[in-house]
Amino acid sequence: MSRVPFYLKERLEEVRRRVLFETYEVQKLPRWERITFTWLVLFSFWIVISGNLSLENIFAGALSSLIISSFMYDMLTDDIRASGHLIEKIIYIALFLVPQYLFIMIFRLLESNFRVAKHAILLDINPGIVKIRSDLHSDTGLTILANSITLTPGTLTIDVDKKLGEAYLYVHWLNVETLDREKAGYKIKGDIEEWLKKIFW
Amino acid sequence: MVEENLLVNPFGWGVILLLITASLVSYRVLFGPTLADRMVGLNTVTTKIVVIIALLSVLLEAYFLLDIAIVLLMVNAVSGLILAKYMEVRR
Amino acid sequence: MIEYFFLALGLLVMVFSTLGILRFPDVYTRLHATTKCDTGGAMSIMIALAIYVDASFFIKLKFLILAFLIALINPMVSHAVARGAYKYGIKPKVVVDMYAWDNP
Repeated sequence: MSRVPFYLKERLEEVRRRVLFETYEVQKLPRWERITFTWLVLFSFWIVISGNLSLENIFAGALSSLIISSFMYDMLTDDIRASGHLIEKIIYIALFLVPQYLFIMIFRLLESNFRVAKHAILLDINPGIVKIRSDLHSDTGLTILANSITLTPGTLTIDVDKKLGEAYLYVHWLNVETLDREKAGYKIKGDIEEWLKKIFW
Repeated sequence: MVEENLLVNPFGWGVILLLITASLVSYRVLFGPTLADRMVGLNTVTTKIVVIIALLSVLLEAYFLLDIAIVLLMVNAVSGLILAKYMEVRR
Repeated sequence: MIEYFFLALGLLVMVFSTLGILRFPDVYTRLHATTKCDTGGAMSIMIALAIYVDASFFIKLKFLILAFLIALINPMVSHAVARGAYKYGIKPKVVVDMYAWDNP
């Protein structure tokens, strides 16, 4: 990629953008499925927050969340792509993948708490800002990856540089061990990114 | 049953300890060297206040306070984002 | 009995967060202390309260919603504050700074 002449580079970028558009942007969900998905999320949130199950309360919640979701359907479901049956996929994610993610993140959060406590007592820090590479493209996947990196021990995401094919994360690290991009990415991300690749694109 | 004294329960001791730590963090809000230090201190104090409200709603058995805690958490998020955007533009 | 264990763990983590925010040298390392320890301690105390309280099912669910919102909002605000502080001109005390190489 670095040895390509400059007049071919723009053409190559255009071809890659076209391929990404063909593979991802075309197969969005139809509109009524997006409206139904947004309505389900908003209505379940209404029931949990309001907390009583009388009839007029449920009717008012359904009506107001339907009005909101009829013109805000594009914010929540922008990154969902149609691949296979949607309901089977949602059941598989909720029953198998989300408990796996919680089981990973709880122990990482405990370890990061005690490591920060150790650093606060002893003050043996050696900080630095390194740059790692990520394979995800979508906004939701990058957000969840950045939040997971922030909660894992010793790292804090500062900025995201999102280009066409790949995305780069700038990470503030409390104890810099390597400067190599691949080794640092493997040490920081761990097995979270392999988990996230199963859901997001 | 509403308990009159706060200190008969371990959760009441938690309220006292969280108040002491919040008043210690307010040193960073008052004398922080830069603007970002004050924002970090304010964010920490607000998270501790949310936890204190949730503890008090159990101790006093007044569960409407949980809605106030959720609203305070959302206001904290919006104010943090607005101040960060202000610092980014201001230079 | 297990709720008192969760409460003690959360309070211990909160105290270490206060120690970290008072002792660390610059903004970014203070952000490490506040975001990790506050998120872990608040979630632990919320789980302890959801086990302890004897009320209806929706109120227990509300505590878990509060823990989920804390885990969602707190890293996001810390990320925004770190980026804003770097753009504002606060230099970090680090050994290597790859962010300054790419954005001079």
